[in-house]
Amino acid sequence: MMDWYEPRDLKEWAKRLFAVRHLVLMLFILSVFISELRFDWFEQTVGSYLVTTNSKRPESGAIWEIGHRTITARQTLDKIVTDRQFLQREARGATTFTQMVLNILPNKGVMLSSEHFRKIYLTLPQTIAHKIASPFEMLRLFSDGSWVRTYLEKAGDDLKIYLLNANNRVLKELEIPSDLIQYIERVDMALTGTLEDLPSFENRIYSAAHFFTALRSLPQEDLRSVVSQPEMLLSMSGHIVRVGISDEAVSGFIELGFEIEDGTRRKVILLQGREWAVWTLRSYLEEKKGELNTNGTSQNNWM
Amino acid sequence: MIRADTIIRILRIVFYVTLALSSFAALACIGIFFVAVKDLPRVPEPLIRIIETPPTEIYAATGEKIMVIGGREYIPLSRVSQHFIQAVVATEDHRFWEHHGIDKVRTLKALWITFFTPGKVQGASTITQQLSKNLFFSFKRKYMRKFRELLVAIQIESQYRKSEILEAYINQIPIGVGAHGIEQGARTFFGKPASELTLAESALLAGLPKSPTRYNPYLHYDRAKKRQWIVLLRMVAVGYITQEMADSASHAELNLQKLPARARTGSYFLDIVVKTLEERYGPEIVHHGGLKVTTTIDPQLQSGAIESLQKGLIELEKMMGVYTQTIDSTTAMITHPQGALVAVETNSGAIKALVGGSDYSETEYNRAVQNNRLPGSGFKPFLYYAALEKLDINPATVFVDQAVTIPVIGAEDWSPRNFGLKHEGPMVLKRALMKSVNSVAAQLVEKTDPEKVIRTARRSGIKSHLEPVYSVALGTSGVSPLEMASSFATFATGGVKHETFWISRVEDALGRVLEEHIVSGKRSLDASFVYQVVDMMRGIVDEGTGSIVRRLGFDLPAAGKTGTTDGYYDAWFTGFTPTLSTSVWVGYDKGEGLWDTRGTGITGGRGAAPIWADFMIKATDGEPHREFVIPSDIRFEKIDPITGYKANDSTLNPMRIALREGQNVYENIVGDETIDDSQTGLPQWLR
Repeated sequence: MMDWYEPRDLKEWAKRLFAVRHLVLMLFILSVFISELRFDWFEQTVGSYLVTTNSKRPESGAIWEIGHRTITARQTLDKIVTDRQFLQREARGATTFTQMVLNILPNKGVMLSSEHFRKIYLTLPQTIAHKIASPFEMLRLFSDGSWVRTYLEKAGDDLKIYLLNANNRVLKELEIPSDLIQYIERVDMALTGTLEDLPSFENRIYSAAHFFTALRSLPQEDLRSVVSQPEMLLSMSGHIVRVGISDEAVSGFIELGFEIEDGTRRKVILLQGREWAVWTLRSYLEEKKGELNTNGTSQNNWM
Repeated sequence: MIRADTIIRILRIVFYVTLALSSFAALACIGIFFVAVKDLPRVPEPLIRIIETPPTEIYAATGEKIMVIGGREYIPLSRVSQHFIQAVVATEDHRFWEHHGIDKVRTLKALWITFFTPGKVQGASTITQQLSKNLFFSFKRKYMRKFRELLVAIQIESQYRKSEILEAYINQIPIGVGAHGIEQGARTFFGKPASELTLAESALLAGLPKSPTRYNPYLHYDRAKKRQWIVLLRMVAVGYITQEMADSASHAELNLQKLPARARTGSYFLDIVVKTLEERYGPEIVHHGGLKVTTTIDPQLQSGAIESLQKGLIELEKMMGVYTQTIDSTTAMITHPQGALVAVETNSGAIKALVGGSDYSETEYNRAVQNNRLPGSGFKPFLYYAALEKLDINPATVFVDQAVTIPVIGAEDWSPRNFGLKHEGPMVLKRALMKSVNSVAAQLVEKTDPEKVIRTARRSGIKSHLEPVYSVALGTSGVSPLEMASSFATFATGGVKHETFWISRVEDALGRVLEEHIVSGKRSLDASFVYQVVDMMRGIVDEGTGSIVRRLGFDLPAAGKTGTTDGYYDAWFTGFTPTLSTSVWVGYDKGEGLWDTRGTGITGGRGAAPIWADFMIKATDGEPHREFVIPSDIRFEKIDPITGYKANDSTLNPMRIALREGQNVYENIVGDETIDDSQTGLPQWLR
């Protein structure tokens, strides 16, 4: 094969330019060009190559961004809904007022059926239930059928309860102050513990015998001012072993804790006595304690 | 003569330069190709994925869908009118069925025009390229962006069938007024599915994607028709239809839907709904989360409100002589007065109608919510309530309308003037409110204390900042129409305040509840004092500054108060029935007062009250006659409006007033003209 050399004159250039081989080549190039116009084989080749690399390329661009935003939005919504449903479920599963309140977070109220709230209301001791709402009012709302749902939400440390009709209109608004909530919590807690679990009683715990002896020495008409619901205590299984008197007076009342032994279990029932009556009783109890100390027969404590 | 060796040298140079350039270009193309491919976006599979965003749907209180945000209604090609498919192909890319993503002939032609015709830039994007651009790329004009768009188009052509590409394209094109895709477009503009589009409708819709705003038929009907004609001509040129068919279609009447659900036009209310949702959940969830939102709006009341406000503003312009002047073929710039209207359901606080301006398409500024304009005398009911509550007075207490100057510590004395600049002497409190007497209001605020007035306004529902100055009682602190309607609703309910709301329920796409509004009312004002104020305000509507309401035919029990500011910058009327509280404001956005052609200022009674009446007549149509609830300790007496004595047979124009338990009016036993102050129940400071 002869080495390529540069044409030396015009004739040589022309000769080479119009050589059969070159014309054939040009025709070939031209046919390739025309066939590309006609059959788009170049685009098809590039397209096929791009299809093979598609799965390795990034999910970028407007449509993917919208897709990602949609996924994020769905996930956020799912979280909101799941959290809400969780709180609702927990609240609906609550059997005591304290459990129900524990599931209410700030800015996240819970909705209960009127039936469910009625059941929880009935678990409360009568004195507390009366403080929350008059049972007659509850009865009225429940019987006329307008009360359908109950919405509970935190308002600072207090609790707000809205009794709603089917159109979400408030039929009755109840406000439970934080001190009452705390008291209810203590009542619930006391149901499964001893007087030592309740710090407000730690300074004044008396044996049941000593307490009731002192109680007996009060005038007959004052007894109910100390123990407002003796029937409730009577209805309890087991027997009262100790009684605690709280150091604090709230709104003219002082709390009394009756520790009941029922087989191997112990529980405390809380009642409220009128402040003046409990003070009188306390002075009797302290007097008795002093007498016994003087007689040299006192015990270290009254348990 | 050029020598052969010179020619050879030139040929040689040309040859080598061409060879070098070609090699360089080839290498550059390969390089650019691989650079471009590197970050090329992945094409989703299937292409239907483009419709996966669920729409957020907003409903009226009546259950009617009033707005859809985002989302797509994907339909197969078989459910699209053949006319529309042909119109799109003829207009956008008539060789669509032949090329492989690039129309080379059209591209070469476009390049030729772009490079060799000064000032002209020709585009040659195929439908596939447009789809590629819409799905993956921004609209910035960059060569690399264009090249990548081209490569993706080529890939799409290799990956999908032509019918799939066209289907994806017509399901995502922006049609206008919020509609994306032909199904939404057809339903939005013509209220029918895409399969039923006629040739004329198809041609109109196919012309819109080029510029949905510019060719929006609701705003620029003529432009849209011209564009439709161009589409029809393209269809003729491509051979899809005959010239006769095109002529016939261009003359066919287009039955455009009124108030399309997706349109933003006229949706001041929807603006606040979307804004609230975005604040609570974030824009991502609102636009991509697929919420179902139930609002409080009543579509019938809303359209009535728009109609009444627009009609009222036209009347106002006529009264003022405002018209567009044409001088030497040029239209002079005339500013038009604006208005706002808010209607609130009194026993819940739900907004039933809200219009924030004369025309949303012209101005999106929401005057119903954002505007803090001075309410003028419209604020007096708060003063009167505060005064009744604090001072030992009643609606029969006599005051003297006279020039007053109230010393202000550390500032100039305050000397408010009456609107008519006249004084009428003694009159009872109810008459003073009915006639909106400023001098009496000034005496009241001096004794009541501005802070007490502000507290009353707050208890009623006013939230804007209020300056603790005497003039606050005459409405010198700005408030919005929404606040006025909401706070007057507290009077309508006898003092029970309901928080205003516009969203009653939000659910996710699966129907799980995210929030629901609880309608809770709180007693914030005393029912008896409220009733006394309401009774006085009834006098305003029946015989006082707002009596035009009665003359215009509104005959249900209603109370209200007009308000006009100095210089007639603002004209208000806020009034209520026992069920609906509505506030109307009219005025200029900036620095102009409302004056009629005779140079008389336009008051709330003349400018705003007629709009209120027109709206309330429609809004309460068919409602029974319902009285305001009268508290048990209220009783009525008829008195002489000048002396405050109990009316007798000789009393001219006796006035009925409401008295609380323990409040009395006295008979004028003497019968002479001397008013014995010690017997009229006047407090010591007034004697």
